[in-house]
Amino acid sequence: MVLHDQSLPIYELKEVVKSREAEGYGFRLRVPALRIFPGEKIALIGESGCGKSTLLDMLAFVLQPTSCDTFRFQVEKRPQDIAKAWKRHRLNRLADLRRRHLGYVMQTGGLLPYLTVRENMSLSRRVLGMKDDGTVDSLARELGLQRHLNKLPGELSTGERQRVAIGRALAHHPAIVIADEPTASVDPFAAEKIMSLFMEMVEARNITVIVASHAWRHIKRLGLRRLSHHTRRSGDGQMAETVVNG
Amino acid sequence: MIFGRWRQALTLATRDYFHEWQISVCFVLALAAVLGPMMVLFGLKFGIVGSMIDELRQDPAKREIRPVGSGHYDRAWIETLARRRDVAFVVPRVRAIAATMDVGSNHAGRILQLEVIPSANGDPLLPAGTPPPSGMRQVVLSASAARKLQVSAGDGLDGSLERRYLGRRERVHLPLTVVGVVPARYFSRDALFASVQLTEALEDFRDGHQVPALGWRGSRAGQRHYTGFRLYARSIYDVAGLEAAFEKSGVKVHTQAADIELVRRMDRTLSAIYWAIALIGLTGFSLSLGASLWANVDRKRRELAVLRLVGFRTGEIVWFPLAQSVYTAVLGWALAVVIYRAAAWGINLMLAPQLDAAQQVCRLLPFHYGVALALTLTASVTAALLAGLRAARVEPSEGLREL
Repeated sequence: MVLHDQSLPIYELKEVVKSREAEGYGFRLRVPALRIFPGEKIALIGESGCGKSTLLDMLAFVLQPTSCDTFRFQVEKRPQDIAKAWKRHRLNRLADLRRRHLGYVMQTGGLLPYLTVRENMSLSRRVLGMKDDGTVDSLARELGLQRHLNKLPGELSTGERQRVAIGRALAHHPAIVIADEPTASVDPFAAEKIMSLFMEMVEARNITVIVASHAWRHIKRLGLRRLSHHTRRSGDGQMAETVVNG
Repeated sequence: MIFGRWRQALTLATRDYFHEWQISVCFVLALAAVLGPMMVLFGLKFGIVGSMIDELRQDPAKREIRPVGSGHYDRAWIETLARRRDVAFVVPRVRAIAATMDVGSNHAGRILQLEVIPSANGDPLLPAGTPPPSGMRQVVLSASAARKLQVSAGDGLDGSLERRYLGRRERVHLPLTVVGVVPARYFSRDALFASVQLTEALEDFRDGHQVPALGWRGSRAGQRHYTGFRLYARSIYDVAGLEAAFEKSGVKVHTQAADIELVRRMDRTLSAIYWAIALIGLTGFSLSLGASLWANVDRKRRELAVLRLVGFRTGEIVWFPLAQSVYTAVLGWALAVVIYRAAAWGINLMLAPQLDAAQQVCRLLPFHYGVALALTLTASVTAALLAGLRAARVEPSEGLREL
């Protein structure tokens, strides 16, 4: 893939807002300004419920912002106006971008239970029509999954499932990988191992990565740029606002 | 490329459907449990009413119109009847007392006195393939007469009749050939079917008239009159109209119109009952199918969200529930057919003693199976499409973090 000028941001967000309301309690995520450059490793740290997932979903084009001034995405020569695509309901355009440029690691794997480990890892390649070129096998080797390639996810431990999910997110050579608490469901020792392995792998592939986690402790050593964020509560307690900058 | 992802969505849907086979089996069972009994119900209605109507249609006796008592009809009047569109067959009858013959065969020891019934081409009592009796030598026997005489088609008979002529008893013999046999279900008495010409000859002989064709002597016959006729309406639906026409012209007739009306009324009543039940059944069926497919799509939201995350488009995602609903529809229908076949077999077996060999109480045509499949597919594809579109419309992020 021909990457564009490294000095231009992949993501450029200005005044992007997502509001939610549930049972009279309001929540708002506001991003006054955020730029993410190619090859950056971004960490989004905070307690659960502070809006990490909301931001990640917007960055993965699966959640529509309530309002935004600018939401630009640029991996190839032409910048993509995500704000406009949402406004015009161009869901297929967003799906195409997601398919080509993004890998996503969910908190609980999000593996398809009826596909084998190999098929799950190949899924992101197959939807792009990519032929089997040994990528999946070498990923499996790196992730220590060779023995499990023909098993169903139900036969694996949680940690192994998370590693399969990482494999799937990397298999189609995306420009960006987004990981939402990829190690939250495994024990701290395994979590640290998986996270280090994950960061090694994205670094080796020069992939831009955005990770959300509630524990800064075991990722601060990995050299990530931490986005600043503050959560404020309104006077009457009815409204919480998280502001993310970076 | 796009085609490729459709195919992948189909493949994934298939893998999922058979991976979760326990749940798929439940959906299939739920569908068959509603569709099967409905097919049995329709099979019963179709079989019962169908065999009653068939019986009416196939039994020529139901279309027969017989004059009551003896009348006085000339040839021209009979020919006018024959030209009517609602009349399938009519031949004139000579006096009953004159229309008999003594018949013997080489195989049977005794001579039978047989009623002679006029017949002609198109006689509804003659089974297909049996030539009508024609001329002075060919006759058709009723099954019971053929049995008693131990003859079948192609055998010879010796017919004879007697009269008092010029003060003396005179008996003439007439060699006959059997050209056919009327099955017992159409005619149960001993009888001999002959051409109108032969019945006229029998009457002439007994009246002392000459029959030059057979070399029988006598006086010259005058203007002929008939005392009755054999008449069959074109269809059971023409019987009532013909009866009214005869009554109007002063001819009292006997028909099966009352029987026919009874069956037709029963058909209408049964159909009304069936449609009432079918409507309720169909509503329940659509609701149950729709609800289960809808629930299935709801259950699959997380997996569908994952598919969207790896970049499947909305239009491609819809194939997923669609394919699964088609599997459920086809498998459920197939199971319903099995249930129906088993039930129909049991019902027909149970009631076999009361039925003719060919009759079935519970019966469906291949066409009906097709209609059942088409209805099931339409209902399930509609439900899946609605549910699938709904699943595709919600924001992709929703459903992603459920469970």
